Amino acid sequence: MTTSWTSLKTTLSGYLKYRGREGQTAFMLHRITGLGTLLFLTIHIVDTAAAYYYPPLYEHAIVLYRLPLFMVGEIFLVFSVVYHGVNGFRIAYLDLIKPKDWMILKQRKSAKTTLIISTIIWLPAAWIMASNMIKHLGE
Amino acid sequence: MTTTVRKIKKQSNFEITSWKWMRYSAVALLPLVWIHVLIKDVIVGVHNIDTFYVRDIWAIWGWKVYDILLLAFTFAHGVNGLRNVSMDFFHSEKARKIVDWGLIVLWVLVSGIGALAIIAGARPEMLV
Repeated sequence: MTTSWTSLKTTLSGYLKYRGREGQTAFMLHRITGLGTLLFLTIHIVDTAAAYYYPPLYEHAIVLYRLPLFMVGEIFLVFSVVYHGVNGFRIAYLDLIKPKDWMILKQRKSAKTTLIISTIIWLPAAWIMASNMIKHLGE
Repeated sequence: MTTTVRKIKKQSNFEITSWKWMRYSAVALLPLVWIHVLIKDVIVGVHNIDTFYVRDIWAIWGWKVYDILLLAFTFAHGVNGLRNVSMDFFHSEKARKIVDWGLIVLWVLVSGIGALAIIAGARPEMLV
């Protein structure tokens, strides 16, 4: 027990204290967006499956998803999916096609570009979803 | 200038295959997931989705196949990603065994639940 807690502390403080600059930020964002998306995905698969097993439960889930709190969450979910996708593409491209561009200076640049591209893709989607949310407020 | 290139044939193992497939599936997931999110979250919106909508979508064979692929690729990629993250926290052989078996059960169970529902289709007639 003691050893596993030590390892948990060591790993978490390593995540936070390691000064890897842009690369470390990209690593942390990739993990957080990935884990967040997986959490929603698991719930989403099960609740959508309820449309077959027990539709009243699916209708109940839909009621929750229409709440402003969940709709704001949806906007962040879409950011996660976009960022994880763009950064995942960067990782796949560099690993499989151009490993030399993992060189530290180029990698810092591509990590920044990834965040910029993700934001540009996300903003119009966020705008549409936010307008949609406001349109349905108070229903 | 002459260079001597020594080719070493690397023995493939589970971790190498998993590493490669995380990247291959990432490329497949980009269009699959983004089109799904664009249609459902941005264009259609949660206010236009209910059991009747799901029935109409899963009545079309093309969307059935699409959703099965989406389910298979996303969840396998996600659970394997979680396994990768878990390797930072659980090191001992015993802990690894427990975590890995837990993830396999989660993967098979949730994928199975989802796949069966997609194949069978939604049942709004049960709503009354």
